[in-house]
Amino acid sequence: MIQISRLSRTDWFGPLLATLIAITVIQGFNDNFLSPFNIQILLLAIAVNALVAFSQMIIIAIGQMNLSVGAIGGLAAISFVGAMEVWGLPAPLAVILALVIGVGCGVLNGALIRITGISAFVITLATLSIFKGINLGITEAQPFYGVPDSVKSFGAALLVGPIPWLAVPTVLVTVAMWFMLRRMPVGRFILAVGSNEHAAGLSGISVGATVIIAHAVSGLLAAIAGVLVVARLQIGQPSIGDDWLILSFAAPVIGGAILAGGHVSVTATLLGVVIVAIITQALVLFSIDPFLVQVVLGAMILAAVGLNKLRARQPVGKGSA
Amino acid sequence: MSEQKAIFEARGIEKAFPGVMALKGVNMTLMPGSIHALLGENGAGKSTLIKVITGVHLPSAGTLLLDGTETQFSSPRDAIAKGIGVVHQERNLFPRFSVAENIHLEQLAAGYLKPINYSALNEGARPWLEALDLDIDPATPVSELSVARMQLVEIAKALSLQSRVLLLDEPTASLTSSETERLFTILRRLRDGGTSLVFVSHKLEEVQEICDRVTVLRDGANACESRSMDGIGRHDLVQMMIGRAEGAAAWRHRDTTGQPEVLGLSDVSTSLGHKGVNLSVRKGEIVGLYGLVGAGRTELAKAIMGKFKVTAGKVQVNGKAVTIPNVASAIHDHGLGYISEDRKSEGLILQHSVLANAGVPIWRKLAGRFGALRDKRIHDAVLPYLQKLEVKTPSLNQTVANLSGGNQQKISVAKWLAAGVQFLIVDEPSVGIDIKTKAYLHELLRELADAGTAILVISSDMPEMIALADRIVVMDDYHITGEVTNSGVYDDISHAIMGLIHDAEEDSGAVVPLKEISV
Amino acid sequence: MTIQDINSPPGATGGLSRTRFFLSNEFGLILLIIVFAVIFGLSARGFLSPFNLFTLGRNSAINIMIGLSMMTVIVTGGLNLAVGAMGVSAAMVCGWLIEGLGVPWPLAILGGLAFGAALGFINGWMVVRTGLHSFIITLATMSIFFGAMIFLTRAEAFRDLPAAFSAFGKMKFANYLSPLLLVTLAVAVALAWLYRATLTGREMLAAGASPAAAELSGIRVDRMVILCHMLSGGLAGLAALMLVARNGAAIPSMAGQLGQDWLLPAFLGPVLGGTLLQGGKVSVLGTVLGAFLVTMLSSGLLMLQVGAFWVQTFLGLMLLVAVLLDKARRSYLARRNLA
Repeated sequence: MIQISRLSRTDWFGPLLATLIAITVIQGFNDNFLSPFNIQILLLAIAVNALVAFSQMIIIAIGQMNLSVGAIGGLAAISFVGAMEVWGLPAPLAVILALVIGVGCGVLNGALIRITGISAFVITLATLSIFKGINLGITEAQPFYGVPDSVKSFGAALLVGPIPWLAVPTVLVTVAMWFMLRRMPVGRFILAVGSNEHAAGLSGISVGATVIIAHAVSGLLAAIAGVLVVARLQIGQPSIGDDWLILSFAAPVIGGAILAGGHVSVTATLLGVVIVAIITQALVLFSIDPFLVQVVLGAMILAAVGLNKLRARQPVGKGSA
Repeated sequence: MSEQKAIFEARGIEKAFPGVMALKGVNMTLMPGSIHALLGENGAGKSTLIKVITGVHLPSAGTLLLDGTETQFSSPRDAIAKGIGVVHQERNLFPRFSVAENIHLEQLAAGYLKPINYSALNEGARPWLEALDLDIDPATPVSELSVARMQLVEIAKALSLQSRVLLLDEPTASLTSSETERLFTILRRLRDGGTSLVFVSHKLEEVQEICDRVTVLRDGANACESRSMDGIGRHDLVQMMIGRAEGAAAWRHRDTTGQPEVLGLSDVSTSLGHKGVNLSVRKGEIVGLYGLVGAGRTELAKAIMGKFKVTAGKVQVNGKAVTIPNVASAIHDHGLGYISEDRKSEGLILQHSVLANAGVPIWRKLAGRFGALRDKRIHDAVLPYLQKLEVKTPSLNQTVANLSGGNQQKISVAKWLAAGVQFLIVDEPSVGIDIKTKAYLHELLRELADAGTAILVISSDMPEMIALADRIVVMDDYHITGEVTNSGVYDDISHAIMGLIHDAEEDSGAVVPLKEISV
Repeated sequence: MTIQDINSPPGATGGLSRTRFFLSNEFGLILLIIVFAVIFGLSARGFLSPFNLFTLGRNSAINIMIGLSMMTVIVTGGLNLAVGAMGVSAAMVCGWLIEGLGVPWPLAILGGLAFGAALGFINGWMVVRTGLHSFIITLATMSIFFGAMIFLTRAEAFRDLPAAFSAFGKMKFANYLSPLLLVTLAVAVALAWLYRATLTGREMLAAGASPAAAELSGIRVDRMVILCHMLSGGLAGLAALMLVARNGAAIPSMAGQLGQDWLLPAFLGPVLGGTLLQGGKVSVLGTVLGAFLVTMLSSGLLMLQVGAFWVQTFLGLMLLVAVLLDKARRSYLARRNLA
């Protein structure tokens, strides 16, 4: 009994249970669900969405929000393809350019929030519009088609079995995020600032630097996600990132992240992404209207925040608001 | 002791805020191996002085000396780095981090990317915990500790930073008496090890028990300056704090025995954990509800007002059993009012005007057809009360946040006078206001009671309670432990009250106080 | 600083309040509107033509309404990310009532507005019951409302609306004034009256400024929060219906994916207008002026042949500049001890 109640208190247990139940139930209704092809589709979706979710998660960790995740991802994506098509830049350099742009956008967000003291919501709403506007201004809403073959084949290649190469960067990022938030001072500082900014300052942490670093990481991850989407779609769509907002909040929240800051879980967020991917995929398999995915996503956010709230009321969570 | 050199000295410290001179040349000298009391009433400048010493405020004038050399603290960080540790009333810990990490976060700040070695961190934390007799695994998350232990972790953290001066701001406010005793044992040991401790408290019994030197502030100046506690009695301390002899002067006997009961609780339990609460307040009576912070007094008041659920028992207003579903009903249907201790977040709407604040409870009464509400009518309805209370404001359109604490408190009282309630709960009436306003408030509450209002005063300030109440009800751990009829004689009554609290503690064994419910 | 001072009638301190007016947001906005009107009038051909003024009025009517819809929730210190989704849903319900059920159009409009208010009730009720910030609640309901609407309509528009709709949208008074603008101004006046001179409006502001203090002063804070969200839903529905009048059809995508296209205009108006995001303070006039300025700038920039795609960047920059200026103005006022 004690074991179970202890497990139920960890962030990953609930989402893991939900994932397993979902897989079992869906597999029970449809044998195709765990077919290699389907698994490959699932992994492709998870590879990109996990980066989007981490990009938001790191900002939730410092107790803020980043509405511009999608806009940064989109801008990085079209810069990536644009640099190759227009300037003829080799793919690795174009990737670096895209990532630098992502980090730059993040640093801009962080610095504006820190220097002006204006809420992250307003700042990132403004930069969302600026980044998206630059994207549209450059592309005039027309896609870039000049994706080189090397990038295309990376996007389509399989590593082993149904596992796509695209999942490799995501796996590396996941491990790095876990290590950063658990073992590296910078990760601990991010959580400390999110938990109690005042106390963090008194403990010698530079709050400003920490906030800017968190936003830089967020921008970097959004940019990586943008590049991966380009590799998968094989085209530089200006609309990349437009539909990331809801998803970016859904996964961390399902993973037990506290929106007030100071507490996030990499594993549980990843499981959140998996759950969202599984359910989206199931709706397709059962040929349920894809429009209902939105409804389900919204309902899942509500259910998750409700559950998190209940969990926080348990006695041991006391004192950690 | 006198031949020793002072660790820290504050000389002629002045601090001016817009419109207020908070400190008018204050001196304080801290010796190694000493526990120094810093006393003063609310508004005397105590907290401003603490902020100057800990680097939150820069003084407008005066010098700070560390080991005899002049120094300046540019920030709280700077003060900590120079050896001034402080344990604030509010906890500055990260609940989800381990004890060791909380203690050593400082050392990690050196590098952002160097992986943390947790076992080394835990080992490093152990000596500091042992020094405080804290038998906890350094890897335990802080959120799993009791309030008292969290406080000790903060002390350990301050010590690990090589603090030679350690300020403790109201360290016993939420501790039980056995926890307090343990804390004192530790503080004495630190003192014997050479640390200079500053003990800020308004519990004079504790000050007398543990402190060897004392500084008293009154109206932003020294009423006494770092003198030895030898030969100073409780009355001397009080006299220095309030500038006159304390006593029954203000108290007067009031007899309300024949009056009808306005509010009665019988066997009331609440969703917050109150059990079997009995309480009766008669017309024109002032009843005191005494207890320590966290005893459940504010929570009981809010349950009476309908904010929290009464789960069992009977609530009677004017002899009729009632169920109060929400605060609006308590105010508008039953004529109950509540003046919060937390003026800034619960008592007033700081960003709104004086006029808006003073009128809120009577808006409904004043609203005309289609809910139209005219400023003129509100103005006419509240002005007499604002004038009666001598609220000082440039205009009624002034934002309340820009007024002084005393004037804010007057406005939060005036709005209930204007509302004309029959029963008024006053929670910690004198927090953050100066002595003159406090005396004035007390007189006002008596007048109000004489005019027939039933009043329940909640306070942890024993002198205030004894100066004001006709009858004192003692609460501990969400239970009423007894009742004392006030005779105005301080020593008798305070003994009786402390007796009621201690008995309760022994009965229930080691009581872990429920954390205050933050609403 | 004497007691007598409080006897002086409200607003009698003349010199002070005049300075305050010149430092107010509203004055700044009026100045900006005049400056830009002159610039565009001189540099962009056709900016002052009756046709352009008509379109400008019609577009700003809609943008102002969207801003007002957001403002009513910002009053509570919350946000409503679902404005677009709610507005479009309400308009689609109106379209369905007319085309699907054959309800007469005036009743259908009322039905649409009531539906918007009902969606607002759902938001408000959930915010109150869960105690969570409205950001996450309305983020979720944005997805739910929009998804359900698209699912039910099969993403198809209602195009056979009565002629009265598009006639109203095309109608011109004196060659350049759109009646839609009059509707918006009437709503703005009503809101200004609500917040300034009614019990409900005052209670909404008090509840938004400090929920704890308001509750302990006898205000039903929960009810006020729900009411604010319902008002927001109704106004969002009204904005979408005005869009229907302009387009002549109720189109599911008229506010973009998930209704997100409305978010920027929704925040620009109130934030430029000096409504505090923390709640408790509101400026209806500021919101109107702010939203008008934004619409005018977009229109002027388009006429100046600035690529249509860059307008969004300009709006984002403007939001940034506006909040920075507002911050500077506030700290100046605080230093002068005027606010």
